[in-house]
Amino acid sequence: MNRVPNSLIDTLASDLEPVQPIRLWHGIALVALSAVATVILVELLDGLWHGIVQGRASGIFFIANGMFAIVGAAAALAVVRMASPSVGNSQEGARWSAGMLALLPISAGLMLGVGGLFSAISNDVYGLDCFLAGTGFGLVTAAALVLWLRRGAPVSLSAAGTLTGLAAGAIGSFAYGLACPIDTIEHLAIWHTAPVALLAVVGRYAIPPLVRW
Amino acid sequence: MIADEKEMAAMMAAAQKGDAGTYRALLAEVQLWLERFYRKRVAPAQLDDLVQEVMMAVHAKRATWDPTRAFYPWLAAIARYRWVDHLRKVYRSAEDELADYDAPEDSEEEAVMARMSLERLFVHLPEKQSEVIELVKIEGLSIAEASKKTGQSESLVKVNIHRGLKKLSALVEKAE
Repeated sequence: MNRVPNSLIDTLASDLEPVQPIRLWHGIALVALSAVATVILVELLDGLWHGIVQGRASGIFFIANGMFAIVGAAAALAVVRMASPSVGNSQEGARWSAGMLALLPISAGLMLGVGGLFSAISNDVYGLDCFLAGTGFGLVTAAALVLWLRRGAPVSLSAAGTLTGLAAGAIGSFAYGLACPIDTIEHLAIWHTAPVALLAVVGRYAIPPLVRW
Repeated sequence: MIADEKEMAAMMAAAQKGDAGTYRALLAEVQLWLERFYRKRVAPAQLDDLVQEVMMAVHAKRATWDPTRAFYPWLAAIARYRWVDHLRKVYRSAEDELADYDAPEDSEEEAVMARMSLERLFVHLPEKQSEVIELVKIEGLSIAEASKKTGQSESLVKVNIHRGLKKLSALVEKAE
């Protein structure tokens, strides 16, 4: 069998510089900072809804936004781990949490029926604004995670793209959700969940070329 | 015999700190490991190029190994990733045959390698996909020859290669 020339080993060894190994908590800190920055941005641009602390928010407000936060955290953690490749890496937690989020539109659909859902979509004058804002604010997290992946060595590019979009959409919707006083299930299930689905699909196709190595 | 997980992790940790001597020893071990890892799944004429490519990837991405995690699964993930890339690109000549590399065997080492081997990826593919990938991308048959041998139409051979490679790339970290 031919052997790799030792000159390659010599070249690589002579090129060796100390490196700072990738650390999980660095990635977690980056995501946490980007989430905090997103909330600050929401406060500066739209102002957070004071009804949350004045006891005016409904139960579904806390449940839905809590679900966005959990999905965002689970998906972001999976992406952070993907920067350091390893056979055996699993993204099951993020996938299950995304499944959990699907409960919102499913519940709204069951409660309202197809006609009621269509009516809720067409009559919600603020819905599109929430959708665009959630998507836009999600880009902060998306940018942070893409930078993290570019520093790393992701080997499951489609999954990395989808989960980055999922995390970005969920954190964007969570952050903007803190400014939105419309706390009905139909509004949250449609207009606040849509950015998560949209960014997951966009991430699946747009992010792999950015992080390929 | 190739160094075990503990030794490799210790050498890689030293390499990340800039210890060139240890790094040289690590790369020699990595080279041996990769040659065994790819045997039967890469044509001999392409083996050296692929091993070199992976060693350069290991060098460029050495910071992505987290010292709190195992070394070999990290190396195997990179090796699989580059291999799937290689399959996408390669159309080797039919006369090259795969050699049975007679490497020394070691039971513990074999067990670790088997868990992360390329065969583990293939078992997740439907037979019609793995069969044509093997024939066209590894053994070097033309689409027409693979079609004749498998009874699949030429367009089906192409579709199955495309779908199979897509699935392989999604399995790089999963299949163990």
